[in-house]
Amino acid sequence: MAMGESRFMEPLQLAGRLIMENGGETYRVEETITRMGRAFGLERVESFAVPSGLFISYRRKDGDTETSVTRVRKGSRRLSRVDAVNAISRQVEQGKLTCEETLQRLKEIEKNPTGISNLLLLLAAAASGAGFTGMFGGSLLDMLISGVTAGLVEALAHGLERLNLKDAMATLLGSLCSALLPMMLFYFTGIGSVEPIVAGALMPLLPGLAMTNAVQDALRGDMVSGLSHGLSAVLTAVLVAGGALVASAIMSMMGGVPV
Amino acid sequence: MTVELIRIYATSFLGTLGFALLLHAPKKSWLPASIIGGVSYTVYIALLELGSHQAAAMFAAALVGSLLAQFCARKMRMIATIFITLSIVSLVPGLGLYRCMEYLGAGRNALGLQAGVSAMIDIMMIALGVGVGSFIFRLIATRPWLAKH
Repeated sequence: MAMGESRFMEPLQLAGRLIMENGGETYRVEETITRMGRAFGLERVESFAVPSGLFISYRRKDGDTETSVTRVRKGSRRLSRVDAVNAISRQVEQGKLTCEETLQRLKEIEKNPTGISNLLLLLAAAASGAGFTGMFGGSLLDMLISGVTAGLVEALAHGLERLNLKDAMATLLGSLCSALLPMMLFYFTGIGSVEPIVAGALMPLLPGLAMTNAVQDALRGDMVSGLSHGLSAVLTAVLVAGGALVASAIMSMMGGVPV
Repeated sequence: MTVELIRIYATSFLGTLGFALLLHAPKKSWLPASIIGGVSYTVYIALLELGSHQAAAMFAAALVGSLLAQFCARKMRMIATIFITLSIVSLVPGLGLYRCMEYLGAGRNALGLQAGVSAMIDIMMIALGVGVGSFIFRLIATRPWLAKH
């Protein structure tokens, strides 16, 4: 009679957690766990996932039922990892990977960098800010200012990550800086048009992913996850708006930027 | 007008591309996702120019983006979240939200609320567009021309 946890639980937990942490939808977590479990030859595989945790249960061949609870902390939003786990789960279903190989592969996904260096992230933030500023009608100079601002804010976010600051605080400070820097520049030198610059620089901070997931979850009937993702999107938007509000209040006190 | 639309397309393409990297999207999704992101915002602006109501234009743009995104995800055998998220980032009303805060910060509350409500409507329309897009796509998902490659 086998005692203790079987080797099947760990890859299922890890696959589910990786998808959830990195911005996958709830149904994808549940489906991946169920499919992989069945491919491992387990019976009555059940999973229930919400953005903050997942529950897995299945029946072993010897008839015992195993259940586990995995807490999911707020993740890093690396979409390529969700895609990689998805590809592995497909291979497991086709019988190409054993349980041990699967676990090995999943651990590699968690450990390996996604191939996007910090410098590239900085440039990406700059490109994003500059692009959106142009989209909102900014000139080339405005795009340049916005790009530099968004790059600085991204660098700030990395610094704050090292200090282990909470996500919420980082968003608030990020949006405050995104708004205050261009406003100050305009205030002291008169360079740039503030509105498109700040709006563009704020765009990378807005919660596009949480919003998409909230809609997708709710439509599939996962109301708890839908509400959770929705609330997370609202909270982020409020924090971004709050930072911008503080910045424009500061400018207003200084006799600031005309609306 | 054409020049303006090209400028709009190029800038929203660039913005979406940056966002794709920020979300650590897989490399092969960068180009198609940015193309779609550019299309959805250009559709929005073009519809506005044609005299469409703002909310209707936003809904249509999100719908087009969501359908293209899911089509692309299916063809490239990648997860739809990547493409859907990137197809709508250019539509998220950053400018509206900023205007709202700018007015409120300056104590002009009526104008601030107006901008805020307008941004909220935009967000609801995006959600609705993505939702309806997913629904339509599931209806047609079994058609042979949508087969996975």
